[in-house]
Amino acid sequence: MKRPLRTKLLIEVGHNEAIEMANEIIKNYEVQEIQPPRQGLTMIKLRESAKNSLFYIGEVLVTETKVKIGNSFGTGIVMEENNTLSKALAIIDAAYKEKLPETEKWFYVLKKLELKLQNEMEKVKCSIERTKVHFDTMKV
Amino acid sequence: MGYVAVTGGKEAIEASLQHLFYERVKHGKWLSVETIKGTMRGFIDHIMSESSLYSEDLAALAMKQSEGNVEEAVFLLRAHRSTLPRLYYSTITDPRDMFVHRRISASFKEIPGGQILGSSHDYLHRLLDFSLIEETEEDVWQKKLDFEAIEVPEGSSIPLEKLPKVMDYLRAEGLLNDFPVNDEEPDDVTKMSLTFPSSRSERLQILTRGQTGGIVSLGYAGLRGYGSSHPNVGEVRVGEQPIHIQLDGEEEEYYIGSIKLTEVESFIPANVSENGKEVLAFDIGYGACFGQNETKAIAMSILDHALENPEDTPIHDEEFVLLHVDTIESTGFISHLKLPHYVTFQSKLEQMRKIKEESGASVNE
Repeated sequence: MKRPLRTKLLIEVGHNEAIEMANEIIKNYEVQEIQPPRQGLTMIKLRESAKNSLFYIGEVLVTETKVKIGNSFGTGIVMEENNTLSKALAIIDAAYKEKLPETEKWFYVLKKLELKLQNEMEKVKCSIERTKVHFDTMKV
Repeated sequence: MGYVAVTGGKEAIEASLQHLFYERVKHGKWLSVETIKGTMRGFIDHIMSESSLYSEDLAALAMKQSEGNVEEAVFLLRAHRSTLPRLYYSTITDPRDMFVHRRISASFKEIPGGQILGSSHDYLHRLLDFSLIEETEEDVWQKKLDFEAIEVPEGSSIPLEKLPKVMDYLRAEGLLNDFPVNDEEPDDVTKMSLTFPSSRSERLQILTRGQTGGIVSLGYAGLRGYGSSHPNVGEVRVGEQPIHIQLDGEEEEYYIGSIKLTEVESFIPANVSENGKEVLAFDIGYGACFGQNETKAIAMSILDHALENPEDTPIHDEEFVLLHVDTIESTGFISHLKLPHYVTFQSKLEQMRKIKEESGASVNE
């Protein structure tokens, strides 16, 4: 599973799973904290559609953590202040880069999360669709 | 002009601050930051947009600390922002990837995906709901459950996570003044002072973080006769916009979360040169801001177009617009007038007395 999808699943619907995965790694390996959780900003670069150019719409608060497992560095970044999730994401990132055996069985956890996110999004979509206007032409 | 340092207000200021803090608690009522975050969506969207800092948690805290004073809350957030390091820049974020919760067009009735009203105050009677005075936490839970129990259709049919743009209609007909993709790095007004003529990226950045009231007032003035950008709203879309970053030396992007975003594309008739001929096409006026701030985004689209087409009216004048719409700059300068100006005023007073004396003397002569 690609990292953008993996991080999306863990951030959107898998906080508990992320913490469990990270704890599993902490139990079995030495995790070196390179950058303890810290708050910072990410500037958002937006594509505007009038002239197809780019501009900065503003910054978003993020929490960033960096860890090292074996020879691999992992980064955890999440919006808002969330030290626990940020650190868990960093450990998971490093675990994947280090190709630790635990990551193989995580595939099934992530697949379940993917289904959960799809179901949640589908529910929201179905509800929003009720607000679609169905135009009728008035007979005079 | 010389400034004279004076002391003596320290104790009075301390007592004044005690009074200020007392104002927040004097009724013995308490509101958690979590409650503000869960119930004051409009306020939070408003100040996140003006402070140019997207954090619902910090916006809710700022609201609590400022007792609901928007000007103060924005000031607090801008100040806090300046203490934080900028760690990353996002990859190019395109609102075509927005998970749309609301999308309407005032230009076309039938649009791909349809007119999706989502949630909006637009369709309400603006009557006070006195039942809210007696509303309890139980009532709130019941209303939430009632909504969640509403039967929804099985299976969605509209691709809300990849909804086509209304402007694609005009593009397909060749009626859009089209521009090639431009990936030039934007300028950043938080890093470099604004100079004129400004760049497009600077203008859009200043407008999006501008004071809502200021942007709306100037946009309105533009429509009323102080400008010539009269738009049809092509599309207003509100939804969740995914944000990704690219870490140094790594191929794969990193998803960091999503933000609520409003985007507006306004259609404005323009003469365009095509094969040496002047033809009529549509320009786009662009507006986008954090949160659900539709009026601000529409007004921004008017000002964007006006500033792209300089004319001899204030709304088309970039110095007039861009130097006056920032919340901190405008409220800061106006409110500084409350600060002691004893020396300045005394000098004016002396001048007046002198002129009066001299004119009195000349009359007597």
